[in-house]
Formats: sequence, structure tokens, C-alpha cells
Amino acid sequence: MSSEYTNAGTVGDRSYGQPQQQSATMHYLCAECGVKVGINKGEPIRCKECGHRILYKQRTRRMVQFEAR
Amino acid sequence: MADSANARQDVDMVDSHQERKPQINCQKYEEILIKVLPGEGPGCASFEIKDEDHTLGNALRYMIMKNPMVELCGYSIPHPSENHLNMRIQIYPEYENECRPVDALMKGLDDLYDLCEVVQEKFTEARDKFGNKM
Amino acid sequence: MPSAKSSNRRNIVGVNAETVTNVTSNDFPGHWPGEDHSWNVSKFRETLRIQFFRNDRFHAEFDIVHVDASIANAFRRIMMAEVHSFAIEQCYFLNNTSVIQDEVLAHRLGLVPIVGNHRTMRNMKWHRRGNDPKTGQPYQPTVYDTLILHLQATCERIPNAPKGETDPDKLYRNHTVYARDLEWRPANEAQKEMFGSEPVRAGNPDIVIAKLRPGQELIVTSHAVKGLGKDHAKFSPVATAMYRLLPQITIKETITGKAAERLQKCFSKGVIEIVDGEAKVVNPRNDMVSREVLRHEEFKGKVELGRVRDHFIFSVESAGQWDSDEIFLEAVGILQAKCERLKRHTQRMLQLEAEKADRETKPEAMEED
Repeated sequence: MSSEYTNAGTVGDRSYGQPQQQSATMHYLCAECGVKVGINKGEPIRCKECGHRILYKQRTRRMVQFEAR
Repeated sequence: MADSANARQDVDMVDSHQERKPQINCQKYEEILIKVLPGEGPGCASFEIKDEDHTLGNALRYMIMKNPMVELCGYSIPHPSENHLNMRIQIYPEYENECRPVDALMKGLDDLYDLCEVVQEKFTEARDKFGNKM
Repeated sequence: MPSAKSSNRRNIVGVNAETVTNVTSNDFPGHWPGEDHSWNVSKFRETLRIQFFRNDRFHAEFDIVHVDASIANAFRRIMMAEVHSFAIEQCYFLNNTSVIQDEVLAHRLGLVPIVGNHRTMRNMKWHRRGNDPKTGQPYQPTVYDTLILHLQATCERIPNAPKGETDPDKLYRNHTVYARDLEWRPANEAQKEMFGSEPVRAGNPDIVIAKLRPGQELIVTSHAVKGLGKDHAKFSPVATAMYRLLPQITIKETITGKAAERLQKCFSKGVIEIVDGEAKVVNPRNDMVSREVLRHEEFKGKVELGRVRDHFIFSVESAGQWDSDEIFLEAVGILQAKCERLKRHTQRMLQLEAEKADRETKPEAMEED
């Protein structure tokens, strides 16, 4: 009965809770143009579209719980 | 002893078809919510009532003061972050033998109960008379 | 006003320019020589007067005359703090890329009144807090105490919007998330059936929960439970529950002509009317007791202000879960339940005391037990 109340961490076809890719590529968001930038180990921290050097970390894909208080 | 209010709430909701009485919150009430504080004497006593505040405290104080045998009734909440109140009841010396402070307390509770009954009755009557509920 | 004792100055609170007088009630035995003020239900039944002035679903206004402030205040306090209702308690964020932070959004969701089949919601159980002593684990939500509400919204650009357009309605789809977007997900068929034709939903569909811009997304699952206003204001079933005392205005000397018009302007609309050039008090109920009249030299000693100490004008506005008149009835019932509970505990205390005294007087009885 309680299974309806557990948040299994999946919504539709989107998968949450696991890293999105097994490879070392990390994805960031460019602060300037908003594009998603994949960066591998050792690569310069730089947007591949516009060359901007400020990148944002993406929001966690894990479920986050809050009390509504 | 199982607390009957607690037991009532534990009844599975699907088989409680009868009109339910208003609920007061759940759980915990295994302990006794009232005790007599030290310093009790003939015709006078202070009670500590847990889990109650000005809502019941002041209403009950008024009802107990309506009792002609009561010389004094007062209550206080010693500290706002502690969830209890103290209630002091003193009986006139001439009534000491026929009425203990705890009797005055019980009478106060009964009277307040009766008052609520009358208010409910009159309220429903007035509402039905007013009608035209939108 | 039609109060039985209104000629009696005893129940009038005086309102003066700088002071108030005769504030505390004194209807107690022994206060007035030769009068019986002891509690008497049938006398109370005779004198108590309740009259309705408005009874809409979301707003009731009624007078309760000849009760003490302590009783009226108990009803008011219970309506606000001890009548139960449902509100979102836990939020599970699967995604939130909007500009509003998770914890702030969770708080906003908590404040949305949750309505549905009233009878079913009344009968639903209290969610247990803390850990189950048997398993040591937190109590799990069940079909009988928890409702699941899901909120999902993604904002997109509307293609081919005209250049230079600034209206978000024409530029973006789903740019505002409303309370109506909260979608109830019954935990099972049985729960769905319990609510029948009145599914769980937000009390007011038009509450703005968040604003989004293209590319932003919100996926939140939340659990709504039953609670009391004394725990958190989001559980309070009333928007406001208040009372005021009936104002009393006495004109002691006739005021006519221009002065009467000036007097009229000292009060709220409809309180003073000019009849044949003379100022008359027609509806003191409307007055807000601003005391403006006491500031004017020309009315000094001519007008007296007061309030009737045992005439309560209640106004109850429901947040949607209950009908407003029902909240009051429930409050009265809860006060009764409190009395019953305390009485039961007092009897139990006496019983335990007697048992203890018994054991002390004849200790051999214990061995027989």
C-alpha cells in the first residue's frame, strides 16, 4: 500500500537519481548564452559556442525533500 | 488503560459510518493530563493541567467562578513555551466539607459542557431561521 | 439596541478620549449584593441570543449576546487553532529550474488550502509523526492519512511570436503555475472512490505558485496531511475569525442643524441619520468607534461612546475546507471534547489517588492482588 507514497525517482521516461552518463563528460550551463556544454577531464573551462569562461553547475537530478513550513 | 479518545481515532475510518464527534488531536495521551500541585489544603488546591492553554483555561476559570461555593479561581501559564497551565481553586471555609476543589473543577467542566450544548442548539436554530445559504 | 439589559449601564464598557472604563465582567456570585449570579443552564438558555446577519459558504456573520468574553474568546481561539484541515506537509522536488528556491516553493505549496469531499476528509486519520516504536522507522504514510498532489509544468516559447512583443501571454506557454495545476494522484482506487464526485484539489484555483520562463521546469510531488492551526497556520481552516463588541452611542443633548451634519461625519456611514433636522443614532453596528467625536469641542459632554460588553459580533471567513458556520459548530464541539477529556483525566487521577491511599492504609492487600 505504501508503494504509492515512495518516490521511486522516475517521472515518465526521464530518469533521476543516477548520473546521466557513464563517461567522464560533465555538462554545465554557459552563463552567457545558456547552452549546455560538455566538458571532459583536462579540457579548458570554456563555452564551446561563445567562448565565455563562466559556467554554471546543473541542478541535481536527485529528488530533494522539503518540509512545507 | 486505553484512552477512549485515542481508541476512537484508531478505529479504521472506513467502518466509522456514524456521525463523528469533533476530533481533538491524536496520539500520545497515555499519561494523565492533570495533577495536584504540592501545598494542597482543606478547601484549596492548585492543579497543573497539561496540553491546555488560555482557550480552556480562561473559559473554565469563568465557569468555576460562577460557583457560589468558590472563593477564588485563577489560572496562569507559568511559561509560554511550556505547554501547561496552573489552576488555583479555593473554596469558602463554610463549604469546605461539602465541596472539595476538585469537585468545583468537575462542576466547572460539566457546566462548560452544558453551556456549549446550549450554544450549539441556539446557533443551529438561528442559522436555520436565517436560511438562504448560498 | 435590542439587548435585554441595555438600559443597564452595568454591561457597557465606557470609551472615553483617553481611557476605557468598566472593562471587566462582574457577573459572579457575591459581587452584587442580593443578586444570584451562580451558573444556571435554563437561565442561560433564556438569555442567550444568537442572530445571523450573513451566512455564505465563505463568510458568516452573527451576533452572540449574553455570553462572557472568556467563552466567546475560547470559541474564536478554537476556530483558528484547533479545527483541523488539510495542507501540504512534505514536498519532493524531482526538478525545479525556476528562479524560486525549493524551500520557498515548498512553503508556498504548504499554504494552499486543500479541499475535497468534506465528509471523507473529516473521517481521514491523523498522520503520525515521529518513529514507530516497533520498527524504529518513521511512520509510513497510508491511504487513510495522506493525499498525494503532483505539480508538473514546463514553460516553452510560443513559436512565431511577433517581434517586439512583450506580453508573456503571447510569448510563452505555461509561464505561470497556478494552484489549479496541482493534480491529485489517488494512492489507490479505494482512495479515489472515497472522494467520489468531489476530488481533492486546491481551495482556490487561481493562487499563483510560481512563474516560469522558457526552458524552466517544475516537477514536485507533495503529501498533504491533516493538521491543526496551533501547529502551523497553514492548517487553520479560517482566513479570519474575529469578534467585536457592539458599539453604543448615546446622544445626551439634542444636536440639530449644521452641528448635526458635523456629528454625522464623525461616524461611519449609516450610523447617524438626520431626522427632522435632529441627529439620531440609527445603526451603531456600523460604527468602528473611531472616537473622532470626542476630539470636537462642540460635542463635549453631549455624546457618550461605549461598547456592550456581552454582545459579540462574530465574523468568520472560511478558507474553503469547511462552510463558515460549520467551523463555529465544530469549535463548540471541540470545547466540549476538551471538557470531557479533562474530566476523564481528573476522574482517573482521583481513582489513582484513592488506590494509592488504599495501598498505604492496608499494605497486606497488595499481596492478595
